[in-house]
Amino acid sequence: MTADPSDGIGDPSGGIGDPGDGHADDQEIPPEPVGLLRRRVFSTDHKVIGKQFLFLGLSFLAVGGIMAMLIRWQLARPGVPVPVVGRLLFGRAGGLISPAAYTALFTMHGTIMIFFAVTPILIGGFGNFCLPLLIGARDMAFPRLNLASFWTMAAATAVLTASFFVPLGPPQAGWTAYATLSTAIGAPGVGQTLWVVAIYLNGASSVMGAVNYITTVIRLRAPGMTYFRMPLTVWGFFLTSILNALFVPVLAAAMVLLFFDRVFGTQFFVAGTTVGAGGDPILYQHLFWLFGHPEVYILIIPAWGIVSDLLSFFARKPAFGYRVTVYALVGVVILSTVVYGHHMFTTGMSPLLGESFMVLTMIISVPTSLLFANWLGTLWRGAMRMTTPMLFCLGLVFTFGVGGLTGLYLADVVADMYLHDTYFVVGHFHLIMAAALLLASFAAVYFWFPKMFGRMMSERLGKWHFWPTFVSLNVVFMGQLLIGYAGMPRRLYDPSAYDFLRPLLPLNRFISQAAYVLGTSQLIFVANFFWSLFRGQKAPKNPWAVGTLEWTVASPPPHHNFDRIPVVVRGPHELGHPAAWALGKDWLGQDEGPARASADNSADAPPEGPTDRPTEGGA
Amino acid sequence: MHIVLPHDASLDGHLVDGVIGYLTLTTGLAFLAVLVFLLIAIVFHRERAGRTRAHHTHGNRPRDRALTFAVALVMFVAIDVTLAARAAGELSRRFWHYPESDPNALRVEVTARQWSWTFRTAGPDGRFGTGDDVVTLGELDVPVGRPIYLKLRSRDVVHSLYLPSFRTKIDAIPGSTTRLWFQAQEAGRFEIACAQHCGVSHYKMRGLLIARPEGEYRDWLARAETDSRLRGEATLPAAGEATGGWDWETGR
Amino acid sequence: MTAAVSTSPQRRELDSMVGLFIFLGATAMLFAALLLAYGILRAEAPVWPPAGTPPFPRGAATANTVILLAATLALRAARTTDRRWPALAAAALGAAFLALQGALWRHLAATHLGPSAGVLGDVFFALSVFHALHVLGGLVVLALTRTRRLRLLTIYWDFVLIVWIVIYVAVCLL
Repeated sequence: MTADPSDGIGDPSGGIGDPGDGHADDQEIPPEPVGLLRRRVFSTDHKVIGKQFLFLGLSFLAVGGIMAMLIRWQLARPGVPVPVVGRLLFGRAGGLISPAAYTALFTMHGTIMIFFAVTPILIGGFGNFCLPLLIGARDMAFPRLNLASFWTMAAATAVLTASFFVPLGPPQAGWTAYATLSTAIGAPGVGQTLWVVAIYLNGASSVMGAVNYITTVIRLRAPGMTYFRMPLTVWGFFLTSILNALFVPVLAAAMVLLFFDRVFGTQFFVAGTTVGAGGDPILYQHLFWLFGHPEVYILIIPAWGIVSDLLSFFARKPAFGYRVTVYALVGVVILSTVVYGHHMFTTGMSPLLGESFMVLTMIISVPTSLLFANWLGTLWRGAMRMTTPMLFCLGLVFTFGVGGLTGLYLADVVADMYLHDTYFVVGHFHLIMAAALLLASFAAVYFWFPKMFGRMMSERLGKWHFWPTFVSLNVVFMGQLLIGYAGMPRRLYDPSAYDFLRPLLPLNRFISQAAYVLGTSQLIFVANFFWSLFRGQKAPKNPWAVGTLEWTVASPPPHHNFDRIPVVVRGPHELGHPAAWALGKDWLGQDEGPARASADNSADAPPEGPTDRPTEGGA
Repeated sequence: MHIVLPHDASLDGHLVDGVIGYLTLTTGLAFLAVLVFLLIAIVFHRERAGRTRAHHTHGNRPRDRALTFAVALVMFVAIDVTLAARAAGELSRRFWHYPESDPNALRVEVTARQWSWTFRTAGPDGRFGTGDDVVTLGELDVPVGRPIYLKLRSRDVVHSLYLPSFRTKIDAIPGSTTRLWFQAQEAGRFEIACAQHCGVSHYKMRGLLIARPEGEYRDWLARAETDSRLRGEATLPAAGEATGGWDWETGR
Repeated sequence: MTAAVSTSPQRRELDSMVGLFIFLGATAMLFAALLLAYGILRAEAPVWPPAGTPPFPRGAATANTVILLAATLALRAARTTDRRWPALAAAALGAAFLALQGALWRHLAATHLGPSAGVLGDVFFALSVFHALHVLGGLVVLALTRTRRLRLLTIYWDFVLIVWIVIYVAVCLL
């Protein structure tokens, strides 16, 4: 290595964020780990850790999904014991879901889906597996921190699971755990305290991951991989990690104070019931939603990044308006930090504050519209290949379009006064969170399964999985929009307690039936996943014929990813470029061919001459 | 199966319905446009024999950017700006314009607790917290055609007073006071629900709003003021107790 | 197991520096949120300190602040010398800070200023306990650092000191 100034800051390649031209072998090739524990359990290899997160997340997705089925059963058939599994799960109540069990179900359903399913699947799973490969690195910047991040998440799941087995049962205050219902006043058992600890540990895992991802993107990009040549998937993980690093700690603060209230008798959130109590329950809501609103963007931004790339790949043309998309994502990230009050319009906040939050919330629709318009531009005049990943991406475009529009109803304070805490909200966030994220997660699995496991998933089973999933998903969540429009509140054990809700029973029942279809359709995915794991057709290096760096290595990649760190010469979406056609194919790899001085992804360049590198057979 | 909004018995509820209607129209049109666009793309811009080349563009020419910005701007002005301006006006002139100094307004204190609503009016002496208050459990009795001004507090956890037939709701928070006003335009019985998860019996925290024509309301009030079961005495706080009945607060 | 991916020590140190700053940003947000909570509760209180709150023992808090400052200076000294005593002194002073904070908490609990005795006690307890956990973390890293590369730890320690000074000023003095 070249000599450096004594304190080491003066990096010879020029700066903190420099992709390190001329230091192509800056990253050591580590020796292969030996032994089952080091290879599979306590590995520091981002690919192994990514798979661990993926399996953890998919397992909890199943658990959360079963809970959803139970909730829908109760709403469809109030007072009727659950068939088959009822005696097993609710034995003491004769198979019936009691009000207490119901509140625990919707609390744990929300908690699990957000923190223990989507987060580990998209951010922990695909973030870990894909990020170093996509930027041409051998691993994350801090592999041991990565290992710690997974096991912290695993510890969190253990604590959360423990809450089911304590005397007064699991937490029942909703995933939002508003005070004072979540303090000793409303939730006397240790179950709620265990929930607080589990959420804190989960947050710690996320922050560890964020430190790793941000540092990796800044420091470990391959030579030539400028920020504007990164795949949008990488932008997604990068921006999400920034939000994670800054706002998960705010949730941690809320959890710390709630923990102190529950365990040490402080009164940060307690008011109105004892003399001298100087706390404020609304303080909890401020802290929670200061985190909570960025959190929903933390979850969706990786999905947006992935879909932006995949739409380009399967339309066989570049992502439309790459730079505008990046700036739109940055705009969403910034705006997401100042809109949280729209969750609190009915708490009696000052008019000025309420109207400010309304206006800021509405402004977020501008960058979101730009992002969406760019998706449509990517598809237009493409040569679409209707593979399973593409179907799921198109499905996301549809559901996110609808779900995003329904947000406008809730941004308007006047409409929100009626719609707040009704099923309209439930339909809105399930369309955006559940539907869009589920579809994105499946798109990601189908897309990267060959790279992760070296085998192809069945396209036919994939399509059989997609159609019932997509249709039933829309029926369930758009149905909830209608139920909310008719005025049904959330978190209601038995709607027939109210006369004005009785006519909604048929629709609730119909929604539940669609939900059962949604649930059972996932069995097709499970079958496809496990069958393909062992019997799937062996995957070539680049089955999708696209140019990002992970497809230049074997499927699955070797422990050290790249034999030589690639040198990047163009953007990630060079599909349909005339220079490619000159070579008899419709795509150019990011590191393919000689470097060009002005190479970036923004020029609709004239055709290049033939390259002197043998081309990879794009399967 | 006919999914409808609950019956609107209020003075200003139609404003809420108007917003919902406008949004359904505009977002419905936007959604339809996107759907048509997607269907055309999916059907015609697909790879098939004789059509294997996509139109290669990065979409970053000035006219591409102008188009996307135009789409975003049209949506923003037609929907967001229009609604925000309208909401600002409606909030300041109607919903958040409380009848503070209106002698006609009926003032009610609402206490929410797990799992019931209690409503207290001032009684003949016009002062809250005295022995002649009229206190009802689960039932809010109001006259038609007069502003009803509620101030709310909770004894334990956060609840939310939800009046579907008046298109409105407001949280009841322990340790602070929130407020709401509405006006009934017709007589009838309208359900009250709790809209903020407050424990296992949250679903049973139902109440009834009974609106009577002015004459009938006065009759009812006269009977209530002499009905010993509805006296305020029984619910007055004991000396030293921190919660329960509180004096009428001026402003927030 | 791979410790870090970059080969050259200089690149590794810069990687760690970037990572440390992101971690400090996250920690700063956590303490900022806790201080925001304090600010909101204080703004909402009709009078501060709340009626009936005993006077806060500023002397004890000031003494602990001085000890933490001394620990910080000792740690900085440890960076520029090969001798072992500055690092040991820093560890000892850090441990002393924790012990004295513990004593202060016991004293506060006994004089009606502990958690569950009023908002001022609640706030000081929560903020200082959480801060103490971060001091403890720093001490653990100090104990485990075998090389002379203390630069990252001193940055972390400076941060921990600054957080304490903010807490001390905002809660104990103002």
